[in-house]
Amino acid sequence: MKFSPSLFEVRDLSFTRGDNEILKSVNLTILKGEYCAIIGPNGGGKTTLIRLLMGLEKPTSGTIKLFGTDQSKFREWHRIGYVPQRSALVDATFPATVREVVAMGRYARRGIFGFESAEDVAAIEESMEQMGVSDLRDRLIGHLSGGQRQRVMIARALASHPQVLIVDEPNTGVDVESQHRFYDLLRVLNKTKGIAILFITHDVGVIAEDISKLFFVNQTLLLSQTPQEMLRCDSMSRLYGTPAHVVCHNH
Amino acid sequence: MMVEMLSYPFMQRAFIAGLMIALLAAMSGSFIVLRRYSLLSETLAHVSLVGVSVGILFGLSPLWMAVVASLIASWLIEYLRSVHGMYSDSVLAIFLSGSLALAIVIVSLSGSFNASLFSYLFGSILSVSNDDLMIMGFFGSISMALLILFFKELYFIAFDEEVAHTSGIRVSLLNFMLVSIIAVIIALSIRVVGTLLIGALMVIPPVAAIRFGMGFFSTTLLSIAIALVCVVAGLSLSFFFSLPSGAAIVLCLLVAFIFALVVNRR
Repeated sequence: MKFSPSLFEVRDLSFTRGDNEILKSVNLTILKGEYCAIIGPNGGGKTTLIRLLMGLEKPTSGTIKLFGTDQSKFREWHRIGYVPQRSALVDATFPATVREVVAMGRYARRGIFGFESAEDVAAIEESMEQMGVSDLRDRLIGHLSGGQRQRVMIARALASHPQVLIVDEPNTGVDVESQHRFYDLLRVLNKTKGIAILFITHDVGVIAEDISKLFFVNQTLLLSQTPQEMLRCDSMSRLYGTPAHVVCHNH
Repeated sequence: MMVEMLSYPFMQRAFIAGLMIALLAAMSGSFIVLRRYSLLSETLAHVSLVGVSVGILFGLSPLWMAVVASLIASWLIEYLRSVHGMYSDSVLAIFLSGSLALAIVIVSLSGSFNASLFSYLFGSILSVSNDDLMIMGFFGSISMALLILFFKELYFIAFDEEVAHTSGIRVSLLNFMLVSIIAVIIALSIRVVGTLLIGALMVIPPVAAIRFGMGFFSTTLLSIAIALVCVVAGLSLSFFFSLPSGAAIVLCLLVAFIFALVVNRR
């Protein structure tokens, strides 16, 4: 296992689909234990940036290093927990219990003969416990509410004991109360487990003031700064292209 | 009665072949059903018919030829789907009618639409030879071993292909492996179940089992049980009432499916 203080290191990253330039010259670094958010307008390339980081798209140019290793040579994918945007949307009849879904998080770590080791069982139980879904273990994933499914998907990502968790638009299909509980959970994971968090949102209101870094993505990485700087209106105007007014919620 | 039926060597062979196919079809069927890829089995069954007709025309083993044709087609289909990003149902539709057309042309060239071909279409308990059993045993064990070894990875891919990929599972390779296994199972099954009917043996047991709302492991076990019971019942009906075995098996599967629907009304 290679030691590197930076989990993600992106240099001069560009991505074009057809004639459409989706991202250009993006540079960003995420360090161990950081709590980061990507914000920006819809269609601004937030999800594409994440997909590039996860190797689901190939960059047109630029380099991506994961844990100090060039992405093409990176093999320790279990160190990164990924929860995609539409993960809370599951076919209602899909035959998968909560326990089975969380166990998937261990699959890549299990060998070819793949029986669950005591370590696997402990990791699965622990992550279900952390996300408060232990009681739902035998329920079908498709029978849960959006918020519950979201927590199951995070539990699956946590089961592989990742050092960084990437969550794309966690609010899709989730009610407001669950959203707040959800961000509290992310914060707790970051504080108590030291897991770096990178989440995408277009809802600026949910961003806590203690966030380490904010990335504003609209075709390019416009700004990378702290929440205090972000709350100044001119930052928002630069990001969204129109004069913006920030309303603070003091939760 | 059962004892009398099983005293015939041809019935013993039909049962061995049928149970083997039921096990393999139900296990692999879950994956294609969950991936909305049910038509794959139907398509590859028609492709196997090309192999069978080539075999009949040139005097080669129809079963071997079916395995070869089905494997090649499965790779082409997966290639067109994954590399060229074509819609899977349209690729399947092209292969389905295209291969049937090709098979009919080849059969016409051989000058006869004979009884032997009829047995490949609808299955026949009389037709399973010792050689067939050997071929089935060989390919069947390899397929079974691969299905068991990669069961969890295939399940993960069926549930969420992208996250499976990002967790380090070699999705493309396993997708190619799955379609190859399915191609082989289908080609092997045409003796007992027949090309026109094997799709049902692959699709109905998982679909019926899913109705019971259980987890994947239990659903797969139930699906296998349904397939085994229906094959035993179908082969017995075929023996006692002189029916084509494939048709009898599929009718039993339909009964099981209707039962699953009625029991799990929502």
